[in-house]
Amino acid sequence: MSVVKQHNAASPFLFLIPALAVLGIFWVLSLGQVVYFSLTRYSPFREPEFVGLENYARLLSSERFWFCLLNTGLYLLVTPAIILISLAAASIVHASLRYAKGLRVLLFLPVVTPTIVAAIAWRVLYNEDAGLLNAIITTLGFEPIGWLSTKPWTLISAMLVTLWKGVGFYMMIFLAGLMSVPRELKEAAFLDGASRLDVLRVVTLPAIWPIVSLVFVISSISALKVFDELYVTIRGAPIEHQTIVPLVFDTAFVRGDYGLACAIGITLFALILVFSIINLRLSSKGERA
Amino acid sequence: MIEKRGPALTAWLYLGAILLAVRSIGPASYLALGAFQPPTADLSNITAGFTTDPDSAFTLDNFREAWRPGSTLEQIDENAPPPGPGLARPLLNSVLITVIRTITNVLLAALAAYPLARMHFRGRGILFVAILATMMIPEQVSVVPMFRIVVSMGLYDTLIAAILPFSVSAFGIYLCRQAFMSIPFDLEEAARIDGANSMQIWWHVMLPLAGPTLATLAVFSVIAAWSDLLWPLVVLQSEHNHTLPVAINRLLGVFATNIRIAYAASVLALIPIIVFFLIAQRFLKAGIFAGAVKG
Repeated sequence: MSVVKQHNAASPFLFLIPALAVLGIFWVLSLGQVVYFSLTRYSPFREPEFVGLENYARLLSSERFWFCLLNTGLYLLVTPAIILISLAAASIVHASLRYAKGLRVLLFLPVVTPTIVAAIAWRVLYNEDAGLLNAIITTLGFEPIGWLSTKPWTLISAMLVTLWKGVGFYMMIFLAGLMSVPRELKEAAFLDGASRLDVLRVVTLPAIWPIVSLVFVISSISALKVFDELYVTIRGAPIEHQTIVPLVFDTAFVRGDYGLACAIGITLFALILVFSIINLRLSSKGERA
Repeated sequence: MIEKRGPALTAWLYLGAILLAVRSIGPASYLALGAFQPPTADLSNITAGFTTDPDSAFTLDNFREAWRPGSTLEQIDENAPPPGPGLARPLLNSVLITVIRTITNVLLAALAAYPLARMHFRGRGILFVAILATMMIPEQVSVVPMFRIVVSMGLYDTLIAAILPFSVSAFGIYLCRQAFMSIPFDLEEAARIDGANSMQIWWHVMLPLAGPTLATLAVFSVIAAWSDLLWPLVVLQSEHNHTLPVAINRLLGVFATNIRIAYAASVLALIPIIVFFLIAQRFLKAGIFAGAVKG
């Protein structure tokens, strides 16, 4: 601990100032305004009018809100799958198979494909009358599935797109972590007679734990505020099939009730904040700090 | 290799690799095939265009149409909007915005992450959570106040407006912090004893050791900046300021009846980023950075 005491008090802020200025001016200030607008009645071409907590009372008594909140909770189920598959993919690439390089490019393709473009292709796959997926299912002798119109398949369809996009992204993060684990540590463990599993448990996982915890926190945040995949994949499905952020979008830009949209947005923000802090607490136990 | 793998394990690894590969190329290949289809082809059955009519099965017209300024649709449809700027200018804007956002994002995030990972000061925990909190606001509501802020700064319809709010991200700071936390303390201690100050340690010890993560962050920043649609769409009004995604979005509207042109534009937009990623692959390898520190 002697290291960290030797810098003077000003220096942490010298490092932090540029980033804090940008985040403060554009993001924190915006957040403050969203909080204010959530307390107003605010529609296009009208100045915001202060109404106190009215919007919050409205959302608590709205059935749409509770439906979407439940779906948002369900959407979280995609994160364990993303984490496991991307960690497995990173291990495969890291094990440097002969075709690992090509695989990395292939896996990364979904990340660089614009969501709007990917969604067009996914809608063709999901098409309920002529789509590839239902063609396979009916050939196998099962009933066709309403991928884009029936619960819970609408949510599952969007989650598959999220998974498809997320695996490449988080694989890259895991890969960077895996490459930072000193090879000597693993070699030493093998020399001591440790099995592959032991090395993973005792050497590799603890070394990349800060990265694992980051993926946990980040992937939950993005699952809780998912929008693109739902908006483009199951566009047109009733709001009961959607999650909170599509509801925010619908309230603000389709119904023109920006004050209520801000209240919903702030409620979601508060829930994500609490969830993330718990997540950070739980996962930081394994970190050296 | 540290240890010889058994044949069974190798087989499983290959099986996993093949499954993952198939899973990832499906939709992208659909897009690429669609971009080469003539207007007559039925897109819901993409293989048909290659089999039914060999004369018109494969065409580059969509790419020509997407690239050149103006559009042939004007002659057919009087209601079509005035000719667009083509894709050359949007390409230039996208490159400019992407390069600047990537450099600032890596640099500012790595700077801010160092004290958050390694220094002890009052309010560190709260500051860290506050930074993360900027990631938790749904953009669909924050875009309105952020737009007002940009307008009040007099930056509306300038490329600076597309760059500044995204010149550093909470995600980047978080990623760098976690990478710095995995670096052993002894290396920093040794440098400190040699008389290095915080800035020198950051530059000579932390940055090289976090190399793979910084390279990964750079790749992510490039992709995020390159494919960002919502914000540029909101703040960039003039056509000479449009970025590629904004231009493609425009094509989707103008050519709603011939979506292949938007597909072709998307393929054109994808090529630079795939080339970039192939080149970046080399720099994502640990060895390049590790050598800088061992000595």
